[in-house]
Amino acid sequence: MPADLRSLADIDRLIHEPARLALTAILSVAESADFLYLQRETGLTKGNLSSHLAKLEEAGYVAIEKTYRGRIPLTLVRLTDAGAAAYKAYRARFKKFLEKA
Amino acid sequence: MVDIEKIEKRTVQSFYDDGLFEIALGFVFVLLGGYLFVSTALPKGSALAGIMGFALIGVFFLAVFLVNRILRLLKRRITYPRTGYVAFKKKPVSPRKRLRVGLFGGFMGALFAILLGLAPSLGNLLPALNGFLFAMIAFKIANRAGVARFFMLASLSAVIGFGLTAAGIGGARGISLTYGLIGGSLILSGLTALVAYLRRNPRPAPDGLEGPDAR
Repeated sequence: MPADLRSLADIDRLIHEPARLALTAILSVAESADFLYLQRETGLTKGNLSSHLAKLEEAGYVAIEKTYRGRIPLTLVRLTDAGAAAYKAYRARFKKFLEKA
Repeated sequence: MVDIEKIEKRTVQSFYDDGLFEIALGFVFVLLGGYLFVSTALPKGSALAGIMGFALIGVFFLAVFLVNRILRLLKRRITYPRTGYVAFKKKPVSPRKRLRVGLFGGFMGALFAILLGLAPSLGNLLPALNGFLFAMIAFKIANRAGVARFFMLASLSAVIGFGLTAAGIGGARGISLTYGLIGGSLILSGLTALVAYLRRNPRPAPDGLEGPDAR
């Protein structure tokens, strides 16, 4: 297998999935975002968004904090250091691959 | 395929969707313009004029502080219930860079003050200089976030500044008019964006606010 294809095969599949990639891309420029914001920006349903966030949380890529704004429940999501590093590595690797292609 | 750069840019752009930033910034400009206008209307050499001149920096920081507070309050009331909450990362600025920028600003200010003392007619250039400066800032925002309104605001503030200089309205009165007009344009642009935003995003029913709890 050619080296560039091998490097693509090593890509972080957890982030590579389009919905999760969109979520990590948003969170890479944001300090934190709530569920409503992420849902609107990605166009995902509540169930889908919850499931993708759970996978990212399980991998330690995002931290989810449940809190309240007044009496309204609020779920805040932020990228962890590990998530930020994984996203950065994914971005660099993918960019390199596209440049070579 | 997911366009990562587009998503990142869109996230930054979303901060400006509601026009509240322009409205808040516009108020700072109008406030500063009004303050400068009042100071120039006072008799030269009067104690009040002296105090007002001295307090200008304090007024500027107070205005920025208040606007930050107001912006946060408006975002909480208008934006977050409609399109959700997002906070942005602040780029850490090293103390060395802060010092360099401060020294450069101080040097340029002192240089201009000396030049102004040597050739008072240079005061006529102040509106053009201020208009150009804001145009650069607006252009940077437009370019970074891809918000087309800011290209228009950049051009408009350059036109206002250079127009006032060309009309021979310089000095403190010229700056006050520059700030007032730029502030007015910002508020107008922000209000237009806000109306469009509110039309696009009606407040969801209380039930819709349960989104964050869906997990």
